[in-house]
Amino acid sequence: MRPTSRYRAAARMIAAIGVVSLAAACSGNGGTTGGGDAGGGYPDQNITIVVPFSAGGPTDTVTRLIAEPMAAKLGAQVVVQNVEGAGGTVGAGEVARAEPDGYTVLMHHIGMSTAPALYQDLGFAPLENFQTIGLVTEVPMTIVARKDFAPATLQDLVAHVKANADTVTLANAGIGAASHLCGLLFQTAAGVKLQEVPYEGTGPALTDLVGGQVDFMCDQTTNTSGQISAGEVKAYAVTTPERVKSLPDLPTTAEAGLPQLEVSVWHGLYVPTGTPQDVVQKLSEALKVALADQKVIDQMAKLGTAPVPAEDATPQAHRTKLEEQLGTWAKVIADAGVKAS
Amino acid sequence: MERRRSFPDVLAGGVFVLIGGAFVAGSLGYELGTPLRMGPGAFPLLVGAILAALGLAIVVKGLVAGEMISFGPIPWRAIGVIVLAVVFFGFTVRGLGFVPTSAVTALLTTLASSRVRPLTAVAVAAGLTVASTLIFVVGLQLRIPLWGPWLGF
Amino acid sequence: MELLDNLALGFSTALLVQNVLYCFVGVLLGTAVGVLPGIGPTATVAMLLPITFSFEPVTALIMLAGIYYGAQYGGSTTAILINLPGESSAAVTALDGHVMARQGRAGAALAAAAVGSFIAGTVATVALAVAAPPLARVALEFGPAEYFSLVLLGLIVSIALARGSALKALAMIALGVLLGTVGQDIYTGTPRFVFEQRELYGGIDFVSVAVGMFGVAEILRNLENEQTRTAIVSKVKNLWPTREDRRRIVGPIARGTGLGAALGVLPGGGHVLASFTSYAVEKRISKRKEEFGNGAIEGVAGPESANNAAAQTSFIPLLTLGLPAHPVMALMVGAFIVHGITPGPNVITDEPELFWGLIASMWIGNVLLVLLNLPLIGVWVRMLRIPYQVLFPMIILFAAIGTYSLSFNAYDVYAIVFFGILGYILIKCGCEPAPLLLGFVLGPLVEENLRRALIISRGDASVFLTRPISAVLLALAAAALVIAVLPAIRKRREVVFAEDE
Repeated sequence: MRPTSRYRAAARMIAAIGVVSLAAACSGNGGTTGGGDAGGGYPDQNITIVVPFSAGGPTDTVTRLIAEPMAAKLGAQVVVQNVEGAGGTVGAGEVARAEPDGYTVLMHHIGMSTAPALYQDLGFAPLENFQTIGLVTEVPMTIVARKDFAPATLQDLVAHVKANADTVTLANAGIGAASHLCGLLFQTAAGVKLQEVPYEGTGPALTDLVGGQVDFMCDQTTNTSGQISAGEVKAYAVTTPERVKSLPDLPTTAEAGLPQLEVSVWHGLYVPTGTPQDVVQKLSEALKVALADQKVIDQMAKLGTAPVPAEDATPQAHRTKLEEQLGTWAKVIADAGVKAS
Repeated sequence: MERRRSFPDVLAGGVFVLIGGAFVAGSLGYELGTPLRMGPGAFPLLVGAILAALGLAIVVKGLVAGEMISFGPIPWRAIGVIVLAVVFFGFTVRGLGFVPTSAVTALLTTLASSRVRPLTAVAVAAGLTVASTLIFVVGLQLRIPLWGPWLGF
Repeated sequence: MELLDNLALGFSTALLVQNVLYCFVGVLLGTAVGVLPGIGPTATVAMLLPITFSFEPVTALIMLAGIYYGAQYGGSTTAILINLPGESSAAVTALDGHVMARQGRAGAALAAAAVGSFIAGTVATVALAVAAPPLARVALEFGPAEYFSLVLLGLIVSIALARGSALKALAMIALGVLLGTVGQDIYTGTPRFVFEQRELYGGIDFVSVAVGMFGVAEILRNLENEQTRTAIVSKVKNLWPTREDRRRIVGPIARGTGLGAALGVLPGGGHVLASFTSYAVEKRISKRKEEFGNGAIEGVAGPESANNAAAQTSFIPLLTLGLPAHPVMALMVGAFIVHGITPGPNVITDEPELFWGLIASMWIGNVLLVLLNLPLIGVWVRMLRIPYQVLFPMIILFAAIGTYSLSFNAYDVYAIVFFGILGYILIKCGCEPAPLLLGFVLGPLVEENLRRALIISRGDASVFLTRPISAVLLALAAAALVIAVLPAIRKRREVVFAEDE
């Protein structure tokens, strides 16, 4: 083979890849550019929101929902990056060590308040290493069981698991997952110690619940409402003070007689400590604007949740929530004797 | 009967014994639980032991009736250069950014071949950097900055 | 007939211009990311998910599904051409496919893969349309005990992937299983074998192991004889399968399709078993066992068909029950939710257009893939003519970028060289990497389901035998082990006798 024909072949191959990547570029225009009020220094480059969980999960979806209106308000590109691992602590640790300039922002959920209790050598302290921006949303959870599970109401369930503590199985989506935390709180509230069956994520856990392999679990409404309305699982209660719009007949835990069991998967935005106050304010303002966006409200409603009220989307309210939750979970987790490392 | 010693068999068996043993040793540091309620150490302990046993069997077989495999030369230069190139990539991609890191990695890698001419190496590295930037950053929207913070802008 | 009405509804939805267009974009992108080492369908779907927010729900799902099965197609191309599997299924294709490429029969291998995949995709789409809900019910009968027995059977069957010594193949499987234990234990959260590195908590990524064991190790082997050997690939003989090839792939495609369609339905990892179970079956029933591993076209056609059929039927739990079987499916659940569709058993009745439209689009997607891939075979085969001095740096660089892009974790990149060197040493010693990869994929499933089954049964190990499906699978596993080991023992005895004389 002559060398020229070789290189021609290579060139053709590269051209083929070029066509493919062009197609990708046309459909893959993922960044969101805003054209809003720029000026005043910050921001003059892309802002990255780190999501410490996998793309497509509930936290990622919420982040991507608010990224666009936030970008429009800030007048800069907002890029969502997934840095997964170790219950969200890898991504959080990375942001804790990032430059405190407001260009690296963290979206984290309830896991921020449980990490210090679950992990030794965490490498960061939520209150010391992070500046809060504001709360974003609080996702309700539901207690569900396989459809042929005997108890009919939440109080029946508590009585049943107490009487059969050595045979009942409680599924969860892994150590530190929202379903695990809710399960711990259930055991504390009911005053019982159950056999927990961990899974790797909600999907497989719910599969085995629908298949009747395990008895019950507690998970985010986002994941369970489809199965509940189809009658594939039996639902007992929702864990927030108010009922959920998509499941109007489902009582709250307080109504059903277990008021101690109140938990939601709350989400908030953070920047590293040392970020200038005016930058924090700008981010908080942008968050508020995003949460008031009708499209965001609609999309969140579809997810079975809603933006927090405007007064909670502030650094102060978020910090108060974080402090309170850190205290709650430190006790629950220590009592349960759970350790992730 | 003449024994057929097989160096590759002994080496492979040795590697298995070593890795299996290391996992066994590591597993002992974790909770083992009971046979029916296994702790985190139980499964790796079991499999590590199986691997070490299989490794031992391969060593013995290699000493008695080994497979005749020609081991062949070892391309030390290629190994060294490729290790260096990939480690360089992992270490610097965040700091230097996509373009400089890709260029250096590609250039280093081309040098793995002992027959490459310097000019060809540079041309290949430049071409690959452009191609990978087009495919991964422009095409697939990979979120890696083109120029990293270490470069000061 | 109701089915025909439903299919008519499906095709009328799927054939809308924008749906065909995005189906094409999906399969094209899927093929592209499947061909590139490292970047897989999961990452691509995750990246494109936000863009689909503005689409019609059915259009969005058609495109995302297209990426998934398109990537299954593309992955086999890289496996055949440069021995670089992007997914566990493609590791099986690489066994004979890459040998065929080196013999100058890359075109035939690629065509067998494409045609096999198309036929399998078509049959599986029909299966999906006709029997999705009952199949999903059967899948739910599989609990942890059944999955443990199934995966154990799979591990034993994978001995068949090796050409050489069964002992070494077993050791490679065990090594793969061990490597799969690195990372956080899901039952207790204990980080295992992570050397205090938080980046390793999530475990080692499959792509790093595959790229290292196959890609890097292969490059090192090719570079060792540089001075003496020039051409790595012999001259391309013929671009298309010969009449003989065509005759030989009919059976494997039919059997692979059936196996894959059945296994794909199981959400707990059935689809990963599809391709190599098919390989093992073909090798066992073939009259030309010695050709397997040396360029048997059956070893490409069967597994590729099985893989594509499984890719299609693995949508069954998602579509009929709202339960995802694969990370890509989990992302699609996210897409359902964002579009205001609650994933669950009600999708079929509440959104018939979406359900049947998606199924019909899969068949259209398969047609598009064949139309896209058959002409591309010529281009791919020419790619083999790229001088090796350009090709191997390209593989290394793309592999590094691809693995880094998985989760922006430098450890995934370092892992390539670690596994490259480990793989190189072991391959030089006559061990083969494919069983290791399958051990790596299946190992965590074995441990997870073993421990879960024992937790649920309160430590009563008899569940594996008292549950009928599990017992049958275990019996099959025992039989498979006997069949795999017996010939080796018999052969050894023959060898010993031969030496005594």
